[in-house]
Amino acid sequence: MAKTNGRKNGAGHQVAMVFDLNKCIGCQTCSVACKVLWTREEGADYQWWCTVNTQPGRGHPRDYEAMGGGYREGVPQPGRRPTREEWGGGWDFNYDEVLYGGKGQSVFLHPVGEEPKWGPNWDEDQGAGEYPNAYFFYMPRLCNHCTKPVCVEACPRGAMYKREEDGIVLRDESRCRGYQFCLEACPYKKVYFNFVRQVSQQCIMCFPRLEQNVAPACVRQCPGRAVWFGTLDDEEGPVAKLVRKWEVALPLHPEYGTEPNVFYIPPIGPARLNDDLSFDEETPRIPDEYLEGLFGPRVHSALQTLKAEMAKTRDGGKSELMDTLIAYWWRDMFKPYDRDPAEIQWT
Amino acid sequence: MRAVKLQLATRTLLNPAAQQWAKVPAEEMTLGGTPLHQQPSRYVRTAWAGKPLGAVRLLKVQAAHNSKDIAFRLEWADPTENRDHGDGSVFPDAAGVLFPLNGDAPLESMGSADAPVIAWYWRASMADEDDAQELIARGAGSAEQAPKSLSQARARWLEGRWEVVFARPLEANGNGARLAAGKPAKVAFAVWEGSSQERAGIKSFSKRWQELEIQ
Repeated sequence: MAKTNGRKNGAGHQVAMVFDLNKCIGCQTCSVACKVLWTREEGADYQWWCTVNTQPGRGHPRDYEAMGGGYREGVPQPGRRPTREEWGGGWDFNYDEVLYGGKGQSVFLHPVGEEPKWGPNWDEDQGAGEYPNAYFFYMPRLCNHCTKPVCVEACPRGAMYKREEDGIVLRDESRCRGYQFCLEACPYKKVYFNFVRQVSQQCIMCFPRLEQNVAPACVRQCPGRAVWFGTLDDEEGPVAKLVRKWEVALPLHPEYGTEPNVFYIPPIGPARLNDDLSFDEETPRIPDEYLEGLFGPRVHSALQTLKAEMAKTRDGGKSELMDTLIAYWWRDMFKPYDRDPAEIQWT
Repeated sequence: MRAVKLQLATRTLLNPAAQQWAKVPAEEMTLGGTPLHQQPSRYVRTAWAGKPLGAVRLLKVQAAHNSKDIAFRLEWADPTENRDHGDGSVFPDAAGVLFPLNGDAPLESMGSADAPVIAWYWRASMADEDDAQELIARGAGSAEQAPKSLSQARARWLEGRWEVVFARPLEANGNGARLAAGKPAKVAFAVWEGSSQERAGIKSFSKRWQELEIQ
Protein backbone atom coordinates (compact mmCIF):
# COMPACT_ATOMS: atom_id res chain seq x y z
CA MET A 1 0.00 0.00 0.00
CA ALA A 2 2.28 2.74 -1.26
CA LYS A 3 1.26 6.26 -0.41
CA THR A 4 4.22 8.10 -1.81
CA ASN A 5 2.08 10.59 -3.66
CA GLY A 6 -0.25 12.95 -1.89
CA ARG A 7 0.47 11.88 1.64
CA LYS A 8 -2.37 12.58 3.94
CA ASN A 9 -3.00 15.95 5.34
CA GLY A 10 -6.40 17.35 6.04
CA ALA A 11 -9.37 16.27 8.11
CA GLY A 12 -8.87 14.36 11.32
CA HIS A 13 -5.09 14.18 11.29
CA GLN A 14 -2.41 15.06 13.78
CA VAL A 15 0.74 16.84 12.69
CA ALA A 16 3.87 15.85 14.57
CA MET A 17 7.60 16.49 14.69
CA VAL A 18 10.57 14.30 15.46
CA PHE A 19 13.88 15.80 16.56
CA ASP A 20 16.98 13.61 16.43
CA LEU A 21 19.00 14.64 19.47
CA ASN A 22 22.00 12.81 18.02
CA LYS A 23 22.02 15.28 15.14
CA CYS A 24 20.99 18.57 16.75
CA ILE A 25 24.07 20.81 16.93
CA GLY A 26 22.47 23.53 19.05
CA CYS A 27 22.88 26.18 16.36
CA GLN A 28 19.55 27.85 17.23
CA THR A 29 18.63 28.30 13.57
CA CYS A 30 15.17 26.91 14.41
CA SER A 31 14.84 29.35 17.31
CA VAL A 32 15.85 32.30 15.16
CA ALA A 33 13.71 31.22 12.18
CA CYS A 34 10.72 31.24 14.52
CA LYS A 35 11.75 34.47 16.22
CA VAL A 36 12.02 36.51 13.03
CA LEU A 37 8.77 35.12 11.71
CA TRP A 38 6.45 35.31 14.71
CA THR A 39 7.74 37.14 17.79
CA ARG A 40 8.91 40.55 16.70
CA GLU A 41 5.87 42.51 17.84
CA GLU A 42 5.74 44.61 20.97
CA GLY A 43 5.61 42.52 24.12
CA ALA A 44 7.07 39.48 22.36
CA ASP A 45 10.68 40.51 22.88
CA TYR A 46 11.33 37.83 25.49
CA GLN A 47 9.26 35.18 23.73
CA TRP A 48 11.05 32.28 22.05
CA TRP A 49 8.36 29.86 20.94
CA CYS A 50 11.16 27.50 19.92
CA THR A 51 14.21 27.23 22.16
CA VAL A 52 17.19 24.91 22.15
CA ASN A 53 18.64 24.10 25.54
CA THR A 54 21.63 22.15 26.72
CA GLN A 55 20.73 19.02 28.65
CA PRO A 56 21.27 18.35 31.46
CA GLY A 57 20.27 21.87 32.33
CA ARG A 58 17.69 23.96 34.09
CA GLY A 59 15.90 24.81 30.87
CA HIS A 60 13.71 27.65 29.76
CA PRO A 61 12.02 28.98 31.75
CA ARG A 62 14.44 28.16 34.55
CA ASP A 63 13.51 24.90 36.33
CA TYR A 64 10.25 24.62 34.40
CA GLU A 65 10.08 20.91 35.22
CA ALA A 66 9.35 21.78 38.86
CA MET A 67 6.42 24.12 38.11
CA GLY A 68 3.59 21.58 38.03
CA GLY A 69 0.70 21.36 35.61
CA GLY A 70 -0.25 18.57 33.22
CA TYR A 71 -2.49 15.63 34.08
CA ARG A 72 -2.21 12.94 36.70
CA GLU A 73 -4.64 10.07 36.21
CA GLY A 74 -6.67 12.29 33.94
CA VAL A 75 -7.01 15.11 36.47
CA PRO A 76 -5.44 18.50 35.67
CA GLN A 77 -2.72 19.35 38.18
CA PRO A 78 -2.13 22.78 39.71
CA GLY A 79 0.83 24.58 38.23
CA ARG A 80 2.53 27.90 38.66
CA ARG A 81 3.47 30.63 36.26
CA PRO A 82 7.15 31.44 35.73
CA THR A 83 8.17 34.94 36.72
CA ARG A 84 9.67 37.30 34.19
CA GLU A 85 13.09 36.66 35.75
CA GLU A 86 12.69 32.91 35.37
CA TRP A 87 12.07 33.48 31.67
CA GLY A 88 14.86 35.99 31.26
CA GLY A 89 15.71 37.36 27.85
CA GLY A 90 14.17 40.32 26.04
CA TRP A 91 17.05 42.53 27.11
CA ASP A 92 17.81 45.95 25.71
CA PHE A 93 21.39 46.55 24.66
CA ASN A 94 23.48 49.73 24.46
CA TYR A 95 23.47 49.67 20.67
CA ASP A 96 23.32 53.47 20.37
CA GLU A 97 26.37 53.94 22.53
CA VAL A 98 28.50 51.29 20.85
CA LEU A 99 27.38 51.58 17.25
CA TYR A 100 26.56 55.26 16.90
CA GLY A 101 27.93 56.98 20.00
CA GLY A 102 31.58 57.06 19.00
CA LYS A 103 32.51 54.69 21.83
CA GLY A 104 32.90 51.57 19.74
CA GLN A 105 36.49 51.12 20.88
CA SER A 106 35.99 51.85 24.56
CA VAL A 107 32.58 50.45 25.48
CA PHE A 108 31.48 46.87 25.00
CA LEU A 109 28.01 45.73 24.07
CA HIS A 110 26.02 44.77 27.16
CA PRO A 111 22.44 44.61 28.32
CA VAL A 112 21.19 47.81 29.92
CA GLY A 113 19.04 47.93 33.05
CA GLU A 114 18.88 45.17 35.59
CA GLU A 115 21.61 42.60 35.29
CA PRO A 116 20.30 39.47 33.54
CA LYS A 117 20.10 36.40 35.76
CA TRP A 118 18.62 33.93 33.29
CA GLY A 119 17.75 33.65 29.63
CA PRO A 120 16.49 31.29 26.97
CA ASN A 121 19.86 29.55 26.57
CA TRP A 122 21.58 30.52 29.80
CA ASP A 123 23.37 27.32 30.76
CA GLU A 124 24.56 26.50 27.24
CA ASP A 125 27.16 23.72 26.99
CA GLN A 126 27.49 23.30 30.77
CA GLY A 127 26.00 19.83 30.85
CA ALA A 128 27.11 17.38 33.52
CA GLY A 129 29.72 14.76 34.35
CA GLU A 130 33.45 15.01 34.99
CA TYR A 131 36.29 15.29 32.53
CA PRO A 132 37.06 13.23 30.51
CA ASN A 133 33.51 11.87 30.67
CA ALA A 134 31.55 15.08 30.72
CA TYR A 135 28.44 15.04 28.56
CA PHE A 136 25.71 17.18 27.19
CA PHE A 137 23.31 17.30 24.26
CA TYR A 138 20.93 19.82 22.78
CA MET A 139 17.17 19.66 22.93
CA PRO A 140 14.87 21.91 20.90
CA ARG A 141 11.53 22.59 22.56
CA LEU A 142 8.34 24.16 21.31
CA CYS A 143 4.63 23.78 22.04
CA ASN A 144 3.90 20.05 21.85
CA HIS A 145 0.43 20.52 20.32
CA CYS A 146 -0.62 17.80 22.72
CA THR A 147 -3.29 15.22 22.02
CA LYS A 148 -4.64 16.06 25.49
CA PRO A 149 -3.91 19.78 25.66
CA VAL A 150 -4.40 20.73 29.30
CA CYS A 151 -4.09 24.40 28.29
CA VAL A 152 -7.29 24.09 26.25
CA GLU A 153 -9.13 22.54 29.18
CA ALA A 154 -7.74 25.11 31.63
CA CYS A 155 -9.08 28.16 29.82
CA PRO A 156 -12.34 29.18 31.49
CA ARG A 157 -13.28 31.24 28.46
CA GLY A 158 -12.95 28.58 25.80
CA ALA A 159 -10.43 30.80 24.03
CA MET A 160 -8.25 27.83 23.06
CA TYR A 161 -8.99 24.92 20.78
CA LYS A 162 -7.37 22.00 19.05
CA ARG A 163 -7.92 22.17 15.31
CA GLU A 164 -9.89 19.24 13.95
CA GLU A 165 -8.06 18.99 10.63
CA ASP A 166 -4.48 18.79 11.89
CA GLY A 167 -4.48 18.81 15.69
CA ILE A 168 -2.77 22.17 16.02
CA VAL A 169 -3.49 23.88 19.35
CA LEU A 170 -4.50 27.50 18.85
CA ARG A 171 -5.74 30.46 20.85
CA ASP A 172 -8.37 32.91 19.70
CA GLU A 173 -6.65 36.10 20.82
CA SER A 174 -9.92 38.00 20.58
CA ARG A 175 -11.31 35.71 23.34
CA CYS A 176 -8.12 35.70 25.44
CA ARG A 177 -8.19 38.11 28.38
CA GLY A 178 -4.75 37.31 29.70
CA TYR A 179 -5.78 35.19 32.68
CA GLN A 180 -2.96 32.70 32.05
CA PHE A 181 -4.59 29.54 33.36
CA CYS A 182 -3.19 27.96 30.17
CA LEU A 183 0.34 28.84 31.24
CA GLU A 184 -0.26 27.53 34.76
CA ALA A 185 -1.62 24.25 33.45
CA CYS A 186 1.02 23.68 30.74
CA PRO A 187 3.69 21.41 32.27
CA TYR A 188 6.14 22.33 29.50
CA LYS A 189 5.72 26.11 30.08
CA LYS A 190 5.56 26.85 26.39
CA VAL A 191 3.00 29.62 26.75
CA TYR A 192 4.20 33.22 26.87
CA PHE A 193 2.31 36.15 28.31
CA ASN A 194 2.50 39.31 26.25
CA PHE A 195 2.75 41.97 28.96
CA VAL A 196 2.01 44.76 26.50
CA ARG A 197 -1.06 43.33 24.78
CA GLN A 198 -2.15 41.38 27.88
CA VAL A 199 -2.80 38.15 26.01
CA SER A 200 -1.06 34.79 26.10
CA GLN A 201 0.78 33.59 23.02
CA GLN A 202 2.54 30.44 21.85
CA CYS A 203 3.72 28.39 18.88
CA ILE A 204 1.05 28.13 16.17
CA MET A 205 2.89 25.35 14.31
CA CYS A 206 3.23 27.85 11.43
CA PHE A 207 -0.34 27.00 10.40
CA PRO A 208 -0.46 29.63 7.63
CA ARG A 209 2.54 27.86 6.09
CA LEU A 210 1.04 24.39 6.56
CA GLU A 211 -2.10 25.52 4.76
CA GLN A 212 0.16 26.20 1.76
CA ASN A 213 2.00 22.87 2.20
CA VAL A 214 5.07 24.63 3.58
CA ALA A 215 6.74 23.04 6.61
CA PRO A 216 7.05 25.07 9.83
CA ALA A 217 9.97 27.51 9.80
CA CYS A 218 11.88 25.68 12.55
CA VAL A 219 11.68 22.47 10.51
CA ARG A 220 12.54 23.83 7.10
CA GLN A 221 15.42 25.99 8.32
CA CYS A 222 17.23 23.23 10.25
CA PRO A 223 20.65 22.95 8.63
CA GLY A 224 21.40 19.66 10.37
CA ARG A 225 18.60 17.51 8.91
CA ALA A 226 17.71 16.86 12.52
CA VAL A 227 13.92 17.26 12.35
CA TRP A 228 11.10 15.50 10.51
CA PHE A 229 7.56 16.75 10.12
CA GLY A 230 4.34 15.12 8.98
CA THR A 231 1.09 13.57 10.10
CA LEU A 232 1.10 10.60 12.43
CA ASP A 233 -1.35 8.63 10.32
CA ASP A 234 0.83 8.83 7.22
CA GLU A 235 2.18 5.34 7.72
CA GLU A 236 4.73 5.68 4.95
CA GLY A 237 6.07 8.97 6.25
CA PRO A 238 9.22 9.16 8.39
CA VAL A 239 7.41 10.62 11.40
CA ALA A 240 5.01 7.70 11.76
CA LYS A 241 7.82 5.25 11.07
CA LEU A 242 10.04 6.71 13.77
CA VAL A 243 7.25 7.10 16.31
CA ARG A 244 4.99 4.13 15.63
CA LYS A 245 6.88 1.51 13.62
CA TRP A 246 10.37 1.71 15.11
CA GLU A 247 9.31 3.31 18.41
CA VAL A 248 12.57 5.21 18.67
CA ALA A 249 10.98 8.67 18.86
CA LEU A 250 9.58 9.48 22.29
CA PRO A 251 7.69 12.37 23.87
CA LEU A 252 9.38 14.50 26.52
CA HIS A 253 8.08 13.72 30.01
CA PRO A 254 5.29 11.31 29.08
CA GLU A 255 4.36 11.29 32.78
CA TYR A 256 2.94 14.80 32.37
CA GLY A 257 -0.04 13.07 30.77
CA THR A 258 -0.77 15.48 27.92
CA GLU A 259 0.47 13.23 25.09
CA PRO A 260 2.82 15.54 23.19
CA ASN A 261 3.14 15.43 19.41
CA VAL A 262 6.75 16.55 19.39
CA PHE A 263 9.01 13.51 19.71
CA TYR A 264 12.72 12.95 20.29
CA ILE A 265 15.23 10.35 19.19
CA PRO A 266 17.24 9.92 22.42
CA PRO A 267 20.96 10.70 22.25
CA ILE A 268 23.44 7.84 22.45
CA GLY A 269 26.52 9.94 23.14
CA PRO A 270 30.14 8.94 22.67
CA ALA A 271 31.75 6.07 24.58
CA ARG A 272 33.12 6.67 28.07
CA LEU A 273 36.84 6.74 28.65
CA ASN A 274 38.55 4.59 31.26
CA ASP A 275 41.28 6.02 33.47
CA ASP A 276 43.87 4.73 31.01
CA LEU A 277 41.89 6.50 28.26
CA SER A 278 40.78 3.21 26.68
CA PHE A 279 37.12 3.05 25.62
CA ASP A 280 34.51 1.78 28.03
CA GLU A 281 31.79 0.50 25.71
CA GLU A 282 29.70 -0.93 28.54
CA THR A 283 28.74 2.16 30.50
CA PRO A 284 26.82 4.85 28.64
CA ARG A 285 28.35 8.30 28.97
CA ILE A 286 24.88 9.82 29.19
CA PRO A 287 23.36 7.88 32.11
CA ASP A 288 20.31 5.82 31.16
CA GLU A 289 18.56 7.03 34.32
CA TYR A 290 18.92 10.61 33.17
CA LEU A 291 17.36 9.81 29.80
CA GLU A 292 14.62 7.81 31.49
CA GLY A 293 13.88 10.89 33.59
CA LEU A 294 13.28 12.83 30.38
CA PHE A 295 11.65 10.31 28.08
CA GLY A 296 10.25 7.63 30.37
CA PRO A 297 11.01 3.91 30.61
CA ARG A 298 10.53 3.32 26.87
CA VAL A 299 13.86 5.06 26.32
CA HIS A 300 15.71 1.80 27.06
CA SER A 301 14.15 -0.17 24.22
CA ALA A 302 14.49 2.85 21.91
CA LEU A 303 18.23 3.02 22.64
CA GLN A 304 18.56 -0.74 22.15
CA THR A 305 16.86 -0.53 18.76
CA LEU A 306 19.06 2.37 17.70
CA LYS A 307 22.23 0.55 18.76
CA ALA A 308 21.18 -2.72 17.10
CA GLU A 309 20.38 -1.00 13.81
CA MET A 310 23.65 0.93 13.95
CA ALA A 311 25.51 -2.34 14.48
CA LYS A 312 23.66 -3.84 11.53
CA THR A 313 24.81 -1.13 9.12
CA ARG A 314 28.32 -1.18 10.59
CA ASP A 315 28.47 -4.85 9.59
CA GLY A 316 27.46 -3.95 6.04
CA GLY A 317 23.76 -4.67 6.44
CA LYS A 318 20.86 -2.48 5.40
CA SER A 319 18.64 -0.64 7.87
CA GLU A 320 15.52 1.29 6.95
CA LEU A 321 15.74 3.03 10.32
CA MET A 322 19.31 4.21 9.77
CA ASP A 323 18.48 5.34 6.23
CA THR A 324 15.58 7.34 7.62
CA LEU A 325 17.71 8.90 10.34
CA ILE A 326 20.50 9.76 7.90
CA ALA A 327 17.89 11.59 5.79
CA TYR A 328 19.47 11.28 2.36
CA TRP A 329 16.74 13.38 0.78
CA TRP A 330 16.05 16.61 2.57
CA ARG A 331 12.54 17.16 1.19
CA ASP A 332 11.50 13.66 2.21
CA MET A 333 11.85 14.81 5.79
CA PHE A 334 8.65 16.86 5.60
CA LYS A 335 6.65 15.75 2.58
CA PRO A 336 4.00 16.75 1.57
CA TYR A 337 4.83 20.03 3.30
CA ASP A 338 7.80 20.57 1.02
CA ARG A 339 6.62 23.49 -1.05
CA ASP A 340 9.22 26.26 -1.33
CA PRO A 341 7.92 29.28 0.63
CA ALA A 342 9.77 31.59 -1.75
CA GLU A 343 7.37 30.55 -4.53
CA ILE A 344 4.39 31.88 -2.64
CA GLN A 345 3.01 35.40 -2.62
CA TRP A 346 2.47 35.91 1.12
CA THR A 347 0.11 38.71 1.98
CA MET B 1 -29.31 51.37 47.14
CA ARG B 2 -30.06 54.84 45.93
CA ALA B 3 -28.49 56.95 43.19
CA VAL B 4 -29.01 60.52 44.34
CA LYS B 5 -29.48 63.42 41.97
CA LEU B 6 -26.77 66.06 42.08
CA GLN B 7 -26.15 69.20 40.06
CA LEU B 8 -22.60 68.31 39.17
CA ALA B 9 -20.62 68.06 35.98
CA THR B 10 -19.90 64.49 34.89
CA ARG B 11 -16.20 65.36 35.12
CA THR B 12 -16.68 65.97 38.85
CA LEU B 13 -18.72 62.81 39.36
CA LEU B 14 -15.97 60.83 37.63
CA ASN B 15 -13.34 62.14 39.99
CA PRO B 16 -12.99 59.64 42.87
CA ALA B 17 -11.35 62.38 44.97
CA ALA B 18 -14.12 64.95 44.45
CA GLN B 19 -15.24 66.36 47.82
CA GLN B 20 -18.87 66.19 46.72
CA TRP B 21 -18.84 62.40 47.05
CA ALA B 22 -18.50 62.82 50.81
CA LYS B 23 -22.14 63.98 50.96
CA VAL B 24 -23.47 61.02 48.98
CA PRO B 25 -24.95 58.25 51.15
CA ALA B 26 -22.71 55.20 51.19
CA GLU B 27 -23.63 51.58 51.46
CA GLU B 28 -21.23 49.09 53.06
CA MET B 29 -21.58 45.83 51.21
CA THR B 30 -20.34 42.45 52.34
CA LEU B 31 -18.73 40.56 49.50
CA GLY B 32 -18.14 36.83 49.17
CA GLY B 33 -15.98 34.64 46.99
CA THR B 34 -17.54 33.23 43.86
CA PRO B 35 -18.63 29.59 44.27
CA LEU B 36 -15.86 27.27 43.08
CA HIS B 37 -18.23 24.69 41.59
CA GLN B 38 -19.48 27.36 39.19
CA GLN B 39 -16.03 27.92 37.68
CA PRO B 40 -16.21 26.81 34.06
CA SER B 41 -12.77 25.12 33.99
CA ARG B 42 -11.88 21.82 35.64
CA TYR B 43 -8.30 23.08 35.95
CA VAL B 44 -9.49 26.12 37.89
CA ARG B 45 -11.75 24.02 40.12
CA THR B 46 -8.85 21.66 40.88
CA ALA B 47 -6.16 24.28 41.32
CA TRP B 48 -8.28 26.45 43.63
CA ALA B 49 -9.80 23.66 45.69
CA GLY B 50 -9.26 24.42 49.37
CA LYS B 51 -7.94 27.91 48.72
CA PRO B 52 -9.74 31.01 49.93
CA LEU B 53 -11.66 32.80 47.21
CA GLY B 54 -12.59 36.45 47.31
CA ALA B 55 -9.91 38.39 49.14
CA VAL B 56 -11.88 41.64 49.44
CA ARG B 57 -14.78 41.26 51.85
CA LEU B 58 -16.05 44.78 52.32
CA LEU B 59 -17.02 47.26 49.63
CA LYS B 60 -18.26 50.81 50.07
CA VAL B 61 -20.56 51.87 47.21
CA GLN B 62 -22.08 55.25 46.40
CA ALA B 63 -24.25 56.20 43.44
CA ALA B 64 -25.26 59.53 41.97
CA HIS B 65 -26.50 61.03 38.72
CA ASN B 66 -26.83 64.45 37.13
CA SER B 67 -29.78 63.60 34.87
CA LYS B 68 -27.36 63.01 32.03
CA ASP B 69 -24.88 60.50 33.47
CA ILE B 70 -25.04 58.02 36.31
CA ALA B 71 -21.96 57.23 38.40
CA PHE B 72 -21.01 54.54 40.93
CA ARG B 73 -18.11 55.10 43.30
CA LEU B 74 -16.54 51.95 44.70
CA GLU B 75 -14.05 52.01 47.54
CA TRP B 76 -12.28 49.13 49.23
CA ALA B 77 -9.18 48.35 51.25
CA ASP B 78 -6.31 46.81 49.32
CA PRO B 79 -2.81 47.16 50.76
CA THR B 80 -1.22 46.09 47.45
CA GLU B 81 -1.59 48.42 44.49
CA ASN B 82 -1.40 46.13 41.46
CA ARG B 83 -1.52 48.25 38.35
CA ASP B 84 -0.03 45.65 36.05
CA HIS B 85 1.10 42.02 35.86
CA GLY B 86 4.31 42.87 37.72
CA ASP B 87 6.97 40.21 37.24
CA GLY B 88 4.30 37.81 36.03
CA SER B 89 3.32 36.58 39.48
CA VAL B 90 0.37 38.95 40.02
CA PHE B 91 -2.59 40.39 38.13
CA PRO B 92 -3.84 43.93 37.91
CA ASP B 93 -6.58 44.75 40.44
CA ALA B 94 -10.00 45.14 38.87
CA ALA B 95 -13.62 45.97 39.61
CA GLY B 96 -16.95 45.57 37.88
CA VAL B 97 -20.51 46.83 38.09
CA LEU B 98 -23.05 44.38 36.79
CA PHE B 99 -26.60 44.80 35.50
CA PRO B 100 -29.13 42.30 34.20
CA LEU B 101 -30.12 42.88 30.59
CA ASN B 102 -33.23 40.93 31.40
CA GLY B 103 -34.84 41.23 34.82
CA ASP B 104 -34.43 37.59 35.76
CA ALA B 105 -30.77 37.05 34.87
CA PRO B 106 -29.03 34.83 37.45
CA LEU B 107 -26.13 36.60 39.16
CA GLU B 108 -23.97 33.72 40.41
CA SER B 109 -23.57 32.23 36.96
CA MET B 110 -23.09 35.59 35.19
CA GLY B 111 -26.41 35.37 33.36
CA SER B 112 -27.71 32.62 31.15
CA ALA B 113 -28.27 31.97 27.46
CA ASP B 114 -31.59 33.82 27.36
CA ALA B 115 -30.94 36.20 30.25
CA PRO B 116 -27.63 37.98 29.64
CA VAL B 117 -25.89 40.39 32.01
CA ILE B 118 -23.72 43.38 31.22
CA ALA B 119 -20.65 44.43 33.20
CA TRP B 120 -18.81 47.71 33.31
CA TYR B 121 -15.27 46.54 33.86
CA TRP B 122 -12.25 48.45 35.04
CA ARG B 123 -8.76 46.98 35.27
CA ALA B 124 -6.00 48.87 37.07
CA SER B 125 -3.76 48.51 34.02
CA MET B 126 -6.11 50.66 31.95
CA ALA B 127 -4.97 54.16 31.13
CA ASP B 128 -7.17 56.96 32.45
CA GLU B 129 -8.18 57.99 28.94
CA ASP B 130 -9.36 54.46 28.14
CA ASP B 131 -13.06 53.76 28.36
CA ALA B 132 -14.14 51.13 30.82
CA GLN B 133 -14.98 47.90 29.04
CA GLU B 134 -18.57 46.76 28.71
CA LEU B 135 -18.84 43.01 28.73
CA ILE B 136 -21.93 40.99 27.93
CA ALA B 137 -22.12 37.52 29.48
CA ARG B 138 -24.55 34.66 28.97
CA GLY B 139 -23.10 32.33 31.60
CA ALA B 140 -19.75 31.92 33.33
CA GLY B 141 -16.78 32.26 31.00
CA SER B 142 -18.83 33.67 28.14
CA ALA B 143 -18.18 37.41 28.59
CA GLU B 144 -17.55 39.27 25.36
CA GLN B 145 -16.93 42.94 24.78
CA ALA B 146 -20.09 44.76 23.81
CA PRO B 147 -19.96 46.30 20.33
CA LYS B 148 -19.73 49.71 21.94
CA SER B 149 -18.75 50.87 25.43
CA LEU B 150 -20.47 53.93 26.82
CA SER B 151 -18.81 53.59 30.22
CA GLN B 152 -15.83 55.38 31.65
CA ALA B 153 -13.86 54.72 34.80
CA ARG B 154 -11.41 56.75 36.85
CA ALA B 155 -9.47 55.39 39.76
CA ARG B 156 -6.92 56.23 42.39
CA TRP B 157 -5.14 54.18 44.99
CA LEU B 158 -4.43 56.08 48.16
CA GLU B 159 -3.09 54.84 51.47
CA GLY B 160 -4.17 51.27 51.00
CA ARG B 161 -7.55 51.93 49.42
CA TRP B 162 -8.82 51.82 45.86
CA GLU B 163 -11.39 54.42 44.87
CA VAL B 164 -12.94 53.76 41.48
CA VAL B 165 -15.74 55.69 39.81
CA PHE B 166 -17.68 54.31 36.87
CA ALA B 167 -19.97 56.56 34.82
CA ARG B 168 -22.26 56.08 31.87
CA PRO B 169 -25.00 58.13 30.17
CA LEU B 170 -28.38 57.33 31.67
CA GLU B 171 -29.87 57.26 28.20
CA ALA B 172 -27.98 54.53 26.38
CA ASN B 173 -30.22 54.26 23.30
CA GLY B 174 -30.64 50.55 23.73
CA ASN B 175 -26.91 49.90 24.28
CA GLY B 176 -26.55 48.10 27.58
CA ALA B 177 -28.53 48.26 30.79
CA ARG B 178 -31.70 50.33 30.81
CA LEU B 179 -31.31 52.97 33.51
CA ALA B 180 -33.66 55.89 34.02
CA ALA B 181 -34.62 58.24 36.81
CA GLY B 182 -37.59 56.89 38.76
CA LYS B 183 -37.25 53.44 37.27
CA PRO B 184 -36.14 50.64 39.61
CA ALA B 185 -33.17 48.62 38.47
CA LYS B 186 -30.85 45.90 39.75
CA VAL B 187 -27.11 46.10 40.21
CA ALA B 188 -24.27 43.95 41.57
CA PHE B 189 -20.56 44.53 42.19
CA ALA B 190 -17.34 42.58 41.93
CA VAL B 191 -13.72 43.15 42.94
CA TRP B 192 -10.59 41.27 41.89
CA GLU B 193 -7.50 41.38 44.14
CA GLY B 194 -4.57 40.91 41.78
CA SER B 195 -1.94 39.99 44.32
CA SER B 196 -4.19 37.10 45.45
CA GLN B 197 -4.17 35.73 41.88
CA GLU B 198 -7.73 36.86 41.35
CA ARG B 199 -8.89 37.17 37.76
CA ALA B 200 -11.67 35.79 35.58
CA GLY B 201 -14.28 34.03 37.74
CA ILE B 202 -12.00 34.11 40.79
CA LYS B 203 -13.25 37.26 42.56
CA SER B 204 -15.37 38.74 45.33
CA PHE B 205 -18.92 39.68 44.48
CA SER B 206 -21.96 41.16 46.17
CA LYS B 207 -23.72 37.77 46.28
CA ARG B 208 -27.17 39.05 45.31
CA TRP B 209 -28.67 41.73 43.12
CA GLN B 210 -29.08 45.06 44.90
CA GLU B 211 -32.24 47.03 44.25
CA LEU B 212 -31.24 50.34 42.70
CA GLU B 213 -33.43 53.37 43.02
CA ILE B 214 -32.53 56.24 40.70
CA GLN B 215 -33.80 59.51 42.16
